[in-house]
This record gives sequence, C-alpha cells and structure tokens, in this order.
Amino acid sequence: MDKVIEVKNLTKTYGKKATAFTALKDINLSIYEGESVAIVGKSGSGKSTLMHILALLDKPTKGEVLIDGVNATKLKNRDLNKLRNERFGFVFQQFFMNANDSVLENVLLPLKIAKLSRGKRKKQAMEALKIVELEQKAKNKATNLSGGQKQRVCIARAIVNNPKIIFADEPTGNLDSATGDKITDLLFGLNKEQGVTLIIVTHDEDLAKLCNRIIRISDGKIISDQTVRKDSQKKASNRRESEAARVKKANERK
Amino acid sequence: MKILDLIKTANHNLFRNKTRTFLTILAVFIGSFTIILSNAINSGVNDFIDKQVATIGGDGFIEVFPSAMYEQVSGMMSGSSSSKVKEYNEATGSYLSANIPEEDMEKLRAVDGVENLEIFHMLSTEWMRLDGEEKKFDVSVEYFPEGNFNVDLSAGRMTDSNNSEYEILLTEDWLEPFGISSAEDLVGKDVEIAIKQNAKCYLTPNDCLATVKAKVIGVQAPGILSVSGDLHINEALDSKLYELAMENVPESSIQNFIAVGNVEPDKLDSVREKFREIGYEFITIDDTVGMIRTFFDVILIVFNIFGGIALLAAAIGIINTLYMSVQERTREIGLEKALGMSKGKIFLEFSIEAILLGFWGSVIGIILSMIIGYSANALAHSTFLSDFPTFNLVVFNPINMAIITLVIMAIAFVAGTAPARQASKQNPIDALRYE
Repeated sequence: MDKVIEVKNLTKTYGKKATAFTALKDINLSIYEGESVAIVGKSGSGKSTLMHILALLDKPTKGEVLIDGVNATKLKNRDLNKLRNERFGFVFQQFFMNANDSVLENVLLPLKIAKLSRGKRKKQAMEALKIVELEQKAKNKATNLSGGQKQRVCIARAIVNNPKIIFADEPTGNLDSATGDKITDLLFGLNKEQGVTLIIVTHDEDLAKLCNRIIRISDGKIISDQTVRKDSQKKASNRRESEAARVKKANERK
Repeated sequence: MKILDLIKTANHNLFRNKTRTFLTILAVFIGSFTIILSNAINSGVNDFIDKQVATIGGDGFIEVFPSAMYEQVSGMMSGSSSSKVKEYNEATGSYLSANIPEEDMEKLRAVDGVENLEIFHMLSTEWMRLDGEEKKFDVSVEYFPEGNFNVDLSAGRMTDSNNSEYEILLTEDWLEPFGISSAEDLVGKDVEIAIKQNAKCYLTPNDCLATVKAKVIGVQAPGILSVSGDLHINEALDSKLYELAMENVPESSIQNFIAVGNVEPDKLDSVREKFREIGYEFITIDDTVGMIRTFFDVILIVFNIFGGIALLAAAIGIINTLYMSVQERTREIGLEKALGMSKGKIFLEFSIEAILLGFWGSVIGIILSMIIGYSANALAHSTFLSDFPTFNLVVFNPINMAIITLVIMAIAFVAGTAPARQASKQNPIDALRYE
C-alpha cells in the first residue's frame, strides 16, 4: 500500500523562548492509503494540532510532512490551497455551515473554490447529497436541519470533491448516539467502499475502536500506535450494513 | 473561486444583514445623490448657455473699452488691487473720461481680423408708439453692427445697416400692447420714437423731445437671449437719434467709451493682442457668458464638497460595516480557507462587498436623481420653461455618471481594504476555533 501521508521528526512549538510550549515532540508517522486511523488523546494532548498539521492547515516548527511523497512543508501557499481543495475532505464537530445558504450551496462550496462550472458543481453536489440521503433537502436552508442532518450535509461537503483523505474532528461529538452511529456508518462506508483514507480525531473510545488503527497521543508524543486485527475490524463493521453501500444498492436496483 | 462567483457571493453576503447594509448604502446614496444631481443641474445650465450662444451666434461680437477703464471696472468687479486709489495720470486723464478718439477707432478698425467697429451710442429714448396711435410705451433701443447673429425671426427680416431708411426690429412682446394679432401684420408698420435733446432740455425741461419715425422691418421670436434686451435698430436710425440727442451739446462733454463690432472668430486672440498694444480691451459674448458659467461652477463645487463630505462619512460607514461582517463571518472565512480558498480571494471577496456597497449607493443615487431631475424638467416645461421646449433644467450626462460611480466604487474599495486585509490574514485554525 502507498503512503498517503508521511511525517518525519515533526515538532510544533507555540510561543517564543520563555513562554514556549511544545505541542508535538519529534513525531514520526506514516499513514497508508485506505486506512482508517483514529488519533486519540485527552484535550491538550496535541491530537488536534497533529491533525491540523497533517491536513496542512498548520505548519510544523520542525520536521517534514509528505503528501503522496511530496514535501508539503516546501510548497507555496497556492499549491497548499490546491492540495487541500482537491485531495482532502473535512468534517468538523461544530459543522461550520453557512446557515443562510441552502444545503446545496453549502455542499458545493469546495467545488466553487475549485472553479468548477455551474453544471458540474450541481451535479457532483447532488451525487454527494444522494450518498448521505439528503437530496430531498437540497433546496432547504441549512439552519432548518437537525444536528444529524447537518453533519450528513458536512459529510456530503467533505466528499463532494472525491477526496483521497477525509479528516474528521470529533464528528459525532455534538450528536446523540443514534445519529452518531449513522454518521460513523457513513464515514466507514466511504472508507470501505471507496477506499477513502479516514483520519478521525476523537476522545471517544467506541468511535476509535471502529478504526483499523489507533494512535494514542499524550503530551505531544505518540504513546501507542496499534493496528487492529483485520477480523475484529470486520466484526465491528459487519454489525451494521454500511449506509453508503445500502444507498448504492438501492440506486442500482432502480 | 471565479470572479463572477465572488461577486455573487459578495452580493449575497451583503444582503444577509439587510438593515445594516441598507443604512450603509443610504449613507453612500446621500453623497452620490448630491453630487449627481448638482452635476446634472450644472450640465443643464451649461447646456442652456451653449444652446443660447449657438442660437444667437455672434461668436465674433466684441465690446471694446479703453484699457484704463476696463481695468478699473473689472478690478472693481473682482475686488482685486487695481480698484485701489491710483495716482492721476495727466496723459490719460480719469478713467471715467476715457474716450475713444476717432484716430484710435481708425487704428482699431485697421487691425487684421476686425470686420467692423462702431462707437456705441447710449440712447436715452423716452417712448415709442404706433404711428397714428396715442398710447406711448417705455422703450430702449440700441445699434451694433449686425455681424453673424442668428436672429430668430417670426416675421420680416433683420435690420440692414446699408439701408438709409430708418429700421427697427421689434419682439413679439410688442404685439399685445400695440393691439396687433400677428407678427406678419406688425411688419411694415411705422412707429414713432421720442428722444430727449440734451442741450434743449437744459433750457426747456418740459419741451425738449424730438421724434423720429421708423419702419418695423421684422419681429423677433420670444425668449431668445439678446445682447442687452434692447430693441435693435439700424445704423441710419441710430445716427439720427444720436444726432437729435446731442444737438448743440459741446464736443468736450460727449463721452464715447464703448465701441462695438465684429471680429473674425478665429482671429480673436491675435486681435486682442493688437488691441492691447493700442490701449484697448474687449469682451466677447463668451466672456460675458463665462461669468454666468463661473457662478454656477462655484455652486457646483460647493455641492460637490458637500457630497464629498457625505461620501467620506459613508466610507467610514463602509469600514464599520465590513469590520462587523468580518467579525461575524470569522468561521466562514476559516472554513473557506480550510477548503482551499486563497488569501487573495478572501481579500477580494470582502473588497467586492465594499465596492458593491459603493456601487448600489451610487446606482440608487442615479435612479433617484433621475426621477427627481426628469420630474423637475417636466414641471419646468409645463410652467416657467414652456417657451423653451429644448431646454432641460437638469441634464444627465452618462459619462459623468459613470465617472462618479467609478470614483465612489474606488472610494468604497479603499475603505474596504483594512477589513478585507484583516479577513484575508485570518488563520483557518484560529478562525474555526473562534466561538
């Protein structure tokens, strides 16, 4: 399998000299294509900082981040923006939707930024909404949705550009367990059906267990990095039929 | 994002907070409205003057004064230093007794480009009546070489100074007092004009009028700007009236300090220089009209300053609005950045928002001033301007309006740079963490 992300000797320090705070200390890490990775740690452990750096939203103080073998720390802002826009998808705990825009407008934002034509944008956005089963709500205002629906819209926004990697920051943190399950089904469905690499930052052990790899962080250091056996992984996913797969099948039948 | 998408997004964002946006646009509108309307009125006035000058012609018409007098008069008008007390000059005498001697007239007439030049006679006519009628009317007449004036005649013809018969040109205003129904009927009628004989009046104040009969050869249409508002007569009648007025008046007490004539219009500048060498100045119709223009230009400047101050306040409003907008949309900016939007595009998004505030403000200013302007024109045409169907009180010049709109948009852009820069500099992580 190919390394989609590789991190070498990564250190991140905030502040200067006396007040300096080291959030990440000399981290080495490789993430392979198709993996589902949970980054687990208490708040302040540095897990969010790590995700931000992996997602190229932040720059390391020292060390290198390689995306598909390319050193991203040496890329220009323009190329960084392009890389994020084309290859990454983001799901946030607080959704971050433009409340007054329609669901469709929210979903197609990454494509608008990518300068896609109007027709293509709409087509791709509707496809993404179909996957999260919200195509009926395309014209609704984003404010009028429930929390679970909002997070599904965010997933649609994250996958609209067919990303290689989806970063999810506490994706179920603001949801009750039933709607949370639906969201995780969607995310892991994408991981399995389409081979999207999934990187989830969470402190929720149940969510972490669904991933095939769990990286634990404490005080800016990786304290454990375990890949779960394939069969137990399978068990976990077999409990429920993947939501995305079900939709796909339903569509095929039509 | 494509530019069109940016503009659409910015416009959409603008109308999220309708009240705030409306108030900001209102502030811009006050400035743009003031400037656009006052410019349109100024264009109207200038347009009127241009049309009138074109209508009456007389591009080469000049009024000539001795330099000493010209300086004194123009100095008094402008309040410049030349109006200060001056030492008496034996050679030139008082500026008030500055006569134009015949030898100077010869020199002036000989200047290349001068078509004709005559001493202007101030005729203090007493009254005029239709020949054979009793009723007398106040009247003032004047003669100047006809030149290239385009007189708008409703009947008859222009006076002819080569004709030795006495001729006078009346206006349509005289139809009613004379009890004549049409201009055609007035042409050919004789009128009697009375003038005071100055020397005789000194001796017998109650019996010193002399009368002359003249023929009405044409009737002028109303409402056309005339050089002085006096009735025009031909040279023969002018000479006769002057002769009667000045009979027995000693030469030394006659004052002739204005000459009138015509110059080839394209030689005005060279003629002006030569006249100065001889010791004379002249003013043209353009100079006279120029004073009116200057007056309205000053008013325009004052109003533009008001508008400018309003725009300055509006610019501060734009800055404020955008800062609030940036504050409110911190997360949105963070999200857009995370999703790959560049700094430049974020800057542009907010700059376009600022520019749009300016744009809508001036568009509303244009629309409202056009509504008011055209209503004012319609009102004017049905009332005090009914005689001037071609004259508009307010004239909208598309180029002017485009320039004003662009300038306002530029001001709005400048105002928007600080908030737009703040937005573009935001760090996506901090922005997304912002609660």
